[in-house]
Amino acid sequence: MTQRVPVRLETWSLRLAPPLATLFIPIAVVAIFFWVPTDAGLGLSQRIFYFHVPCALAAFASYAAAGLCGIAYLRYSRSEWDHASNAAVGTGMLFGSLVLITGSIWAKTAWGTWWTWDARLTTFLILWLVFASYAMLRALGRGNDMTPRYAAVLAIVGTLNIPLVMVATKLWRTIHPQVIGNPKGGIEDPRMLATLGLGMVAILALCVWFWALRSRILRVEEKLSVLEASRP
Amino acid sequence: MGAIVWKDLLSELRNRDTVMSLFVLGVLVLVIFQFALNLSPAETRRLAPGMLWTAIVFSSSIAIGRTLISEREAGCLGALVIAPIDRGSIFIAKLVVNVVILSVFEVTLVPVFALMADVSILTVWPQLAVVMFAGTLGLAAVGTLFALAAAGTRARETMLPLIALPLEIPLLLAAVQCTEAVLTGASLTGLGAWANLLFAFDALFVAVGWLAFEFVAVE
Repeated sequence: MTQRVPVRLETWSLRLAPPLATLFIPIAVVAIFFWVPTDAGLGLSQRIFYFHVPCALAAFASYAAAGLCGIAYLRYSRSEWDHASNAAVGTGMLFGSLVLITGSIWAKTAWGTWWTWDARLTTFLILWLVFASYAMLRALGRGNDMTPRYAAVLAIVGTLNIPLVMVATKLWRTIHPQVIGNPKGGIEDPRMLATLGLGMVAILALCVWFWALRSRILRVEEKLSVLEASRP
Repeated sequence: MGAIVWKDLLSELRNRDTVMSLFVLGVLVLVIFQFALNLSPAETRRLAPGMLWTAIVFSSSIAIGRTLISEREAGCLGALVIAPIDRGSIFIAKLVVNVVILSVFEVTLVPVFALMADVSILTVWPQLAVVMFAGTLGLAAVGTLFALAAAGTRARETMLPLIALPLEIPLLLAAVQCTEAVLTGASLTGLGAWANLLFAFDALFVAVGWLAFEFVAVE
């Protein structure tokens, strides 16, 4: 029963996410470049924000999903959950890398430097490193039956560690703009908020699409290796 | 559980491999810092807490896996897992052993560090001991939890620092800040948010290790 849940999620994701992404990505691109007003203070460079923030959301959602699927895998010992967790770390790494790259590009124009040890940049870098070690564990532990279990524990611990990393880096230092939920200096223009919403739907749909594809590939690969092993 | 702790400590006491290698490695890191950064005495004093924790984190991440890896090689872990005890207890026992070994290492390293960095620890040592213990507990918990995972990969000993170091960054930040405050004369109650973070990290990783060992210690 429980092994059907990730497979069903995957099937529905492959039905819903591709049309959503195909529809919303062009709309979001048009909105970002032609419709939304230019920011008065930051100018043109602020437009990368509509791409950067949705990517960060997708990365956080992926890491959280990886942790949850890891818990389900340890609980039910079904490889479908392991594939779901592994695939979520994959999308987390992809969108996490995009967050670091787009953030760096923006920081160069806004702050005049590619990198600073600001709280949010540091938080993201640490998360990226934790899940990079997950990828290393996967790659170097291939062939060991226990690797999925260790990987699940690492995904869970990595996810639980997120609040601590946030607190630590915030105590350490911060200059990152606080845009959402900030009474002063936040975005107020409804067109800006709408564009941000469009970007979020587009990127999240793309993220879910990638996750479902990756999860299916991992499952098919496992089936294939079982078939090959049983060939006379 | 007491038997596991006693057995491991006895075997460590007989050959003293881990503590000796930890100590030499720790002193080397401190010395390398001096040569690499060419610090003036004032700079050394300012950077001292960071240097101390860097030495501890690197040495421990390299040496801490030994208590589990050597058992795996000797086939002892398989026997422990099928023994009629809770696997969480194996984690706690291993954690205690690692904390004791690391504490012995720190007790030898800190005086050397105090001499090199010219900081006085005579008046602040009780507070310093509490901070060091809290930091050590967190390091040992992460190391103990993932030592088995690292041992199962092709990279073996190299894998443990790769997994442990990124996870330990919040702990490292908190431990360095607390040590700095303590060395400049702050009381334990005056450490504020950094001390809370340090204890939160300890609580999280000890609890998760205890719960998760049930699932990873299967041979």
